[in-house]
Amino acid sequence: MATVTINQAEKTYPNGYKAIHGINLAIENGEFTVLVGPSGCGKSTLLRMIAGLEGISSGEISIDDRVVNKVAPADRDIAMVFQNYALYPHMNNYNNMAYGLRNRGYSKSEIDNKVRDAARILQLEELLERKPGQLSGGQRQRVAMGRAIVRQPKVFLFDEPLSNLDAKLRVDMRLEIKNLQQRLGITSVYVTHDQVEAMTLADRLIVMNGGVAEQIGSPIEIYEKPATQFVAGFIGSPAMNFLTGTVSDDRTHVTVGDGVKLDLDHDVEAGRTVTVGIRPEHLTLVDAQEGRINAEVRMVESLGAETLAYLDFGANADSVTLRVQGTHQFAKNEKLSLSVAADKIHLFDAQSGKRI
Amino acid sequence: MKRVQFEHSAVPYLFVAPQILIISIFFLWPAAQALYQSFLLEDAFGMSSQFVWFRNFEDVLSSSSWSRSAIFTVVFSVLVSVLSIAISLFLAVRADEVIRGAKSYKTLLMWGYAIAPPVAGLLGNMLFNPLMGDLYFAFNSFGFEFNHIENANDAAFVVILIAVWKQVSVNFIFFLSGLQGIPKSVQEAATLDCKSPERRFWTITFPLLAPTTFFLLVINLTYAFFETFGIIDVSTKGAPGGSTATLVYKVYVDGFLGADMGGSAAQSVLLMIMVSILTVFQFRFIERKVHY
Repeated sequence: MATVTINQAEKTYPNGYKAIHGINLAIENGEFTVLVGPSGCGKSTLLRMIAGLEGISSGEISIDDRVVNKVAPADRDIAMVFQNYALYPHMNNYNNMAYGLRNRGYSKSEIDNKVRDAARILQLEELLERKPGQLSGGQRQRVAMGRAIVRQPKVFLFDEPLSNLDAKLRVDMRLEIKNLQQRLGITSVYVTHDQVEAMTLADRLIVMNGGVAEQIGSPIEIYEKPATQFVAGFIGSPAMNFLTGTVSDDRTHVTVGDGVKLDLDHDVEAGRTVTVGIRPEHLTLVDAQEGRINAEVRMVESLGAETLAYLDFGANADSVTLRVQGTHQFAKNEKLSLSVAADKIHLFDAQSGKRI
Repeated sequence: MKRVQFEHSAVPYLFVAPQILIISIFFLWPAAQALYQSFLLEDAFGMSSQFVWFRNFEDVLSSSSWSRSAIFTVVFSVLVSVLSIAISLFLAVRADEVIRGAKSYKTLLMWGYAIAPPVAGLLGNMLFNPLMGDLYFAFNSFGFEFNHIENANDAAFVVILIAVWKQVSVNFIFFLSGLQGIPKSVQEAATLDCKSPERRFWTITFPLLAPTTFFLLVINLTYAFFETFGIIDVSTKGAPGGSTATLVYKVYVDGFLGADMGGSAAQSVLLMIMVSILTVFQFRFIERKVHY
């Protein structure tokens, strides 16, 4: 149980590349924090800085009010689960889990109790004598989790632990990790590029881009009120539709495409050029009418529970994605009319991408 | 089980023919020749020979010079293998940690690989030359009464030094690639689990290098047994008094310089038997411990 405080942390590599541009973050006791972002956004680097596997160029990282910048990884009282499991191939699973405890001077009987407890929680009891090479991917991931929980560390660090597993196993393990973390109540930091994992696991979500935390908040906050166009486009699948529009003189609507008028209840100055963001699930099918999005179906994906239609409209062939519940039979080139409620429209500054 | 029957054709035989030809000419035929000769006794001029059954073997095994050479070979091989493996492992681990200028370190350490054994022997010969050898002068000025021309231990030291130096670069290359074959995340997981770098080395890195080490042990013992011929021939020529002659070198000296073809052939047959036993031993007992 611990807090993690990151204060103006920066990371500059010897070749001058700046991976992390001053991040501030306070992770509370027992909180499950997820770092999410596209590859190269610095999320793994930040995690490795907390672990001590990467140095901290400036700023401070503290665990439980102790600054750990100069503390060896083994002394930070953290445990990490790696993407490729990183199990010791020459040791059996029992020894893989016991290794960290042995180096910390626990007695034989203590080690045995802890390892067998962890094995029971993770249903690994039958596999303790085997070596990692004789296990399936899911079992290996479990052993890696076991190696982390036997030490009862202050902080769990997860570096994309599920990305090497197949889709079904990933869902199972995701639930298991969430369960385990809630049961043990250990402060956790989890890195992923998968936004479904991010949304489902996080108490608090940190969306990173280019070494900066674009937004920090609960998953629903981030879904409902994305702070920037980047966050809006990254969280949510399929991604949010973006259209360039101009706010009308009476500020009651915004014009997109060639003359499509969308109702607006934002406080925004007249004539301003903005980026209009609409989630695919917030577009509704309506009767054809002047001023509505009168679009043509380009492609359809039927997923059973929902149907995705890729459409374009207007002289510039602006494209939008529509998401409707259940199965719908859309024909190619079928004409559809779409509308969106004023409170479901997100507006972003056309230049800075900041939310208006 | 149903067996797949291919149409009989000469083509597969043609593919293996070159290899079979090479093995026959350069291995099977000389080996058979040696075996045959080991039962013969030639007269001093090589004019006639006589079939003597195992007399050559009796002579060899009862001669003190052969057993001395055998003991020297064992000591020499073990020392050369162990020292060159230990030194190159140390160098590889250190070079692997270097970040700045890593390439030049590695290249310099690999250079020795390109040097032929006789050239290495020649270098050693010059370094220890009593008239102009820098190392010869250095050792003597430190107060060692170093004289490898007369002292058997000093001569053994010279040969071992050259043989180890020559082999370190080969082992270094293998250890370095072995180290780079250990996943980085495994090393990182170890730094989270264990604070002491020494302990980490002996519990994680070294066991993961075990297959490489075993392979090198086989290679190095073979090297010390056979390939050091050039080094010995150029540096000490087995002097003083045959004390630095390995079994292979003694085969050459007795057979080609001493013209005792039968005795020399018997020695090489014994050598062949010893190497076979050594190989079986290595694969049976040592390899069993390095699998993971």
